Amino acid sequence: MSHFAITIIGRDRPGIVAQVTKILFDLGCNIADSSCTILGGQFAMILIVSHPEFDSLESFGNAFEPLEQDGLSVFTRILRPGGEEPPQLQGQLCLISVYGSDKPGIVYPVVKELGDRQINITDLNTKLVGPPERPVYVMMIEAVLPPAILLEELAEAMNELKKSLQVDITVRDITPVEL
Amino acid sequence: MAVREILCYPDPRLKTVCDPVDELNEDCDVLVQDLLDTMIAAGHSVGVAAPQIGVPLRVAVVDVSSSKLGRENNHGQLVMINPEILEQSGEKTMREGCMSVPDYTGNVARAEEILVQFLDRHGECRAIRASGFEAVAIQHELDHLDGLLFLDRVSSLKTDLFRRKKR
Repeated sequence: MSHFAITIIGRDRPGIVAQVTKILFDLGCNIADSSCTILGGQFAMILIVSHPEFDSLESFGNAFEPLEQDGLSVFTRILRPGGEEPPQLQGQLCLISVYGSDKPGIVYPVVKELGDRQINITDLNTKLVGPPERPVYVMMIEAVLPPAILLEELAEAMNELKKSLQVDITVRDITPVEL
Repeated sequence: MAVREILCYPDPRLKTVCDPVDELNEDCDVLVQDLLDTMIAAGHSVGVAAPQIGVPLRVAVVDVSSSKLGRENNHGQLVMINPEILEQSGEKTMREGCMSVPDYTGNVARAEEILVQFLDRHGECRAIRASGFEAVAIQHELDHLDGLLFLDRVSSLKTDLFRRKKR
């Protein structure tokens, strides 16, 4: 069965999810995985969908046209076989909190340290909070450490960044407890 | 004495409110031993509740003493029959997973400290004050006795931090 990735974004208002999912429902699509949230004033939807018969983007026809007419941007791509399978990531799950006075260049130096160590980011959120005159930048990263890397080692690297970036960073283990 | 299969949702037995144990007879003792055997065989497990092995009775076992998070603060192996939480205070959020709901975890806020009363394996009434991870594990297992899964308790999405009300 073919899987498709669909992203939809547009000015937030009530009813977007209902409008989108009605179209998918009427087409006979299954929503396998999805994440939808407000970013700025926009509502962003990312969905992995499958359909027992659809085998190309053409199969969707012009089903998403009403969304475009309502000001939403829709992007669709077909996944290569196996692209819908989540990776089996082994290793310690950690959360890295980064926050400080807003300034350019906070995200890249932090994630570069992760990328250089083959640390896999599984979730990342950034937000600008606080009063407009003194904005604070907050970034939360969930990442899986490869077995060869210890939390302490990552914490050490983040400590160095704290000084050079003048931000606060904490690293902590959030490995789920199985009960 | 047997290691039993852990039921997984959507098995309806996991959503059942369990009955209290009337009498601590041999059947009850076999159930307790099965729960302990199953918990130990599951290696990583720190607790099992009777409905997870298909028995709709208010019995659960908890043992956090060999887990990293509970090693320092625990009451050892607990067999809890007809348990009841009498007092609770504080709040502690942990990302929980459950053997009956594979491949999904969620943040759950629970009481940090509880006073729980129960009958032990020998029918003695006990009351213990548990805190930290042990308290979380007990609350998780006791929820099973009321047909509740951690999915019914998930307290926040990952981005909850940003959803604070505007002052």
